[in-house]
Amino acid sequence: MDRPATDTGTTAESSAVRGTAEASDPAVRAPSFYLPDFCATSTVLAVVLISELVAIVLTLAREELHHGFWVDLARTSLFLLWIGLSSAAALCYSRPALARMSVQRASAVSLGLLVAVALVISEVTYWLGQLWFGGLETVVGSLFPASHANFVLRNLFIDFIVSALALRYFYVAHEWRRTVEGRARLRIDALQARIRPHFLFNSMNTIASLTRSNPARAEEAVEDLADLFRANLRETRTQIPLKEELEVARLYQRIEELRLGARLKVKWNVQELPMDTLVPSLVVQPLLENAIYHGIEPLPDGGTVIISGARDGDNLELSISNPVHNDPAANSRSGNRIALDNIRERLELAYHGRARMEVENRGAEYLVKLTFPVVKPGVLP
Amino acid sequence: MKILIVDDEPPARERLRRLVEEIDACEVAGEAGNGTDAIAMAGRVAPDVVLMDIRMPGMDGVEAARHLGQLDEPPAVIFITAYDEYALRAFDTHAVGYLLKPVRREKLADTLARASRLTKPQLAAIARAAAPRQRRTHLSIRARGELRLIPIEEVRFFIADQKYVTVRHTAGEDLIEESLKSLEEEFEPDFLRIHRNTLVAARHIASIERSGEGQYAVRMRGLDVELPVSRRLATDVLRRFRG
Repeated sequence: MDRPATDTGTTAESSAVRGTAEASDPAVRAPSFYLPDFCATSTVLAVVLISELVAIVLTLAREELHHGFWVDLARTSLFLLWIGLSSAAALCYSRPALARMSVQRASAVSLGLLVAVALVISEVTYWLGQLWFGGLETVVGSLFPASHANFVLRNLFIDFIVSALALRYFYVAHEWRRTVEGRARLRIDALQARIRPHFLFNSMNTIASLTRSNPARAEEAVEDLADLFRANLRETRTQIPLKEELEVARLYQRIEELRLGARLKVKWNVQELPMDTLVPSLVVQPLLENAIYHGIEPLPDGGTVIISGARDGDNLELSISNPVHNDPAANSRSGNRIALDNIRERLELAYHGRARMEVENRGAEYLVKLTFPVVKPGVLP
Repeated sequence: MKILIVDDEPPARERLRRLVEEIDACEVAGEAGNGTDAIAMAGRVAPDVVLMDIRMPGMDGVEAARHLGQLDEPPAVIFITAYDEYALRAFDTHAVGYLLKPVRREKLADTLARASRLTKPQLAAIARAAAPRQRRTHLSIRARGELRLIPIEEVRFFIADQKYVTVRHTAGEDLIEESLKSLEEEFEPDFLRIHRNTLVAARHIASIERSGEGQYAVRMRGLDVELPVSRRLATDVLRRFRG
């Protein structure tokens, strides 16, 4: 199946103008070829299932049974499984070549291939029968067919129809899955583009103030802000080294420190972490942003945000905690859940159930803990 | 014109101070980092105009403006906000105006000029129009031209008299000019009406005792008083107290 990491944003866009756009750009089309991998166990199972269903249909439709229902079904199944599994093998080997063609061409070639497989198997079956029972054409109900042309042509025609239906099914299923994934990605992109307006305007205000009192700090603040925005505009599925992600969080911390002064303290206990681990971008910074926005800002005397990390075997634990104002009325700032849901969703997309996010509300302290597998560069999750 | 600058962010205060100092006939009378400090400072320096940030820790700007409106000669309050989600609320409290961060020098000068043209009675009218929309964190008491704040957590009970309401709190007793009904609406469910003229802080109730035939009285923690519960409200009070 497709590797999510290689599926770029361009594919999502091109799905709307499918066909023409894809045919002209093989690089875009390649990762999203609609035929599944026929060497995969699940697909082989699907092929077996299709063959059996067709065998049942053919047997049921037969006006005159030769040896009763079950024997006829067994015979037909044996023959169809031969065709089905050989077709799967043929598609499995030719898939890389097919994936480079346009959808229409690949479909035509696949269909031709499948009919060719049916032809070969039918011919082999007929000639085997001729060889073993040479000339005994009149034996009614023999295991092998009697009439050559009739047998082969009928098989080819049935195979053509069933293959066309199966290809159409795979195509529709693939398109449906792609639409669902594309929609999910758009939603996440929209969420990620949500930069808190308060943060933006307050930072601008801080910079306006610093330009005269401390031009050097103002310059740094503009640079930090630019890098922070760049990180926010990055492709959502990008995996970046943990070191870079923590650096983005530090950029954010520096800007907020200018604004909040001594009220904001951040303690980093992350020395233990393998800094080259790949993580989805923007999983740590939004949590620090939440901790400051919901935790530190409402506190008149400020407080300390603690970011700590530990390695536990193949997993990595990262937690961010902040003090909470004791009066819930002072904590009425909303928007917390959106950021958390967004991070949870992106961890799920990146680690497929192997990542966890826990939120603990311990009265005076609020803690978010992320647990996810360590992924070395070059190894996709 | 004496101006008080209120903002929790030091760079924001610094910039406003510089802008104000560049405008003729304006001087910065003081700076405060939150609403509570702003009220204390306003009592000391009696500013003509308060430049008030809306979003602040502790007491926010909207509540602080409401308390300042209680002064005999309230200052003109100009709200300042980074983002205009609060703008409507600020207009509700009939502020003199509002400015967006980063504040532009010309806009600041215009708004200050407008504020300076308002007469004392006009300002008092604006302050009176401030509607109690949002639950306060403090009550304010006028004393010798200044405001004294009582945190709501420290209030034990309110008792209504003919014209005034007596507030009993940790540090003593004070009179306020508010109706028991509006206090009850603003601070429910933390305060419980036990009598036509009594509103008590639910979490400071020590016990409810039977004081006679079908009669009950509330005892407050740390205070040696018995507050009678009216017959009409007895069932509600007992149900609430016993959960």
